[in-house]
Amino acid sequence: MSIEKISDPRQVRHWPGHMEADYIYTHGIAGERFFKEIKENGRITGTRCKHCNLVYVPPRIYCERCFEKLEEWIDVGTKGTIQTFTVAYVDIDGSKLKQPTTYAMIKINGTNGGLLHKIGEANLKDVKIGMQVEAVFKPKEEREGSVNDIKHFKPVK
Amino acid sequence: MFGKKRVAIVGAGLTLFRRNLKETGKELCYEATKMALDSAGLTLKDIDSVAFGSAPDAFDGIHMKGENMIDSAGGWRKPFSRVFVGGGTGVFTANAGWWHVASGLFDTCLVVAEEKMSSCYPHPAHAFTTIFDPIMSRPLGTTLIWIFALEMHRYMHRHGIKKEQIALVSVKNKKNALDHPCAQLGANITVEDVLNSEIMCWPVQRLDISPTSDGAAALVLASEDVAKKITDNPVWIDGVGWCIDSTYWTNRDLYYPDYVEYAARMAYRMAGIKNPPKEIDVAEPYDPFDYKELHHMEGLLLCKKGEAPKLTEEGVTQRDGDLPINPSGGLLGVGNPIAAAGLMKVCEIFWQLRGEAGKRQVPGDPRTGVAQAWGDLMQYGSVIVLRR
Ligand SMILES: [Zn+2]
Repeated sequence: MSIEKISDPRQVRHWPGHMEADYIYTHGIAGERFFKEIKENGRITGTRCKHCNLVYVPPRIYCERCFEKLEEWIDVGTKGTIQTFTVAYVDIDGSKLKQPTTYAMIKINGTNGGLLHKIGEANLKDVKIGMQVEAVFKPKEEREGSVNDIKHFKPVK
Repeated sequence: MFGKKRVAIVGAGLTLFRRNLKETGKELCYEATKMALDSAGLTLKDIDSVAFGSAPDAFDGIHMKGENMIDSAGGWRKPFSRVFVGGGTGVFTANAGWWHVASGLFDTCLVVAEEKMSSCYPHPAHAFTTIFDPIMSRPLGTTLIWIFALEMHRYMHRHGIKKEQIALVSVKNKKNALDHPCAQLGANITVEDVLNSEIMCWPVQRLDISPTSDGAAALVLASEDVAKKITDNPVWIDGVGWCIDSTYWTNRDLYYPDYVEYAARMAYRMAGIKNPPKEIDVAEPYDPFDYKELHHMEGLLLCKKGEAPKLTEEGVTQRDGDLPINPSGGLLGVGNPIAAAGLMKVCEIFWQLRGEAGKRQVPGDPRTGVAQAWGDLMQYGSVIVLRR
């Protein structure tokens, strides 16, 4: 077999191709209600399993542990705790980003769940694990029922 | 004993791991499979079944690549199946081969794993973007590296681990790989080289990461009665385990891989292992990033939580240390064609226990080894325990 170290696949005999497929994803039963609350009311919601005493964020219509149907929806507030974060310096192709972006895993306070999101309105050097942050929503007229209706999370003053 | 029959590995094969090999995925599979058969002194006629493993179709760019690879994995007109559990596929394919034979259904089984990641151009990172939840994660522009960065940071924070300590893993594995004839990234590097390499997504830097690779690996399994006719030197599969945690990885504490512990406990129970650090002589935990080796040593119960960096600093995990970890050079050194990389680890333990690892041989006549792979969204562990 060949042992040469080829760094560009175009150096070997090849056939370019692509697999084209477009998708339309539904938000689902739980997702639709979750995003409607965000879009219309600026509220983050979760569902509670009373058997396991767990609050799921993002909400689900079933509990993965006991397999009961979940029907109790609760407003979980907009505050959370940074569990961990990263500062992205490169994009997906490895090219330098103009502006490093901070992404965090945020545990929503009082729940067993969390959201992945950007951290904004903060000095990079001040961002710490354990820090309290709150969701900043886009103006209502700009919201479209997406996770990006939350602009970012910012430190709680 | 679990199952109807005890199962042995009687042969192994591995291709070069490289970025952009000329061979197609099929041709790589053929090379590894033929080598495994030859090393067992068998031909395709002796094979009753095939367990094949490959990670996302999007890497090779062939939807249903399991079917595409059948002929090259020795599956022509045979009972053939493909298993897939993301990055955990390589070790899980060996587990699947085990139950083909342990069930008593087949006397022999070929285990083949393949990945040709370089087909995805310009970079397979694009194939990874579609593994994330389309509603909650993808609109944020999630990339694979930053989810690793989130896990690495959480692990460092929880135990007060420094980057310098983690970098030692990359230094060790790339050095070990210098002795591996298939290795892509064997090198003598220093901790400073790692710390000075490009920051991708803090705390992940360029030299914390394994490369994009093409490659294939294969094993031949046989039931006890058949194995004893094939070789005087069988290596027994004495334990298999696998476990998956919640897909909602934002709902878990990433500092510790519980699912690896559960998979390990399943395999250890089967193998009768009560004290893993004492009873295991050599280990190949999954190391696509340097911190993952440490994370997985802890999940495999080879040390206490947060203790792996200290053992690494003390040299315990070097090839001549008390508990050699990734003597092959691992994914960081040998390369990371996903499923093939996991099975490469099983091949390495097989060669180590047979005393056939050449310059990579760990001293002390090892009798028991463990290999582990990890995958999906920070949630899946597969473990195999081998004994001589
Ligand atoms: Zn429940």
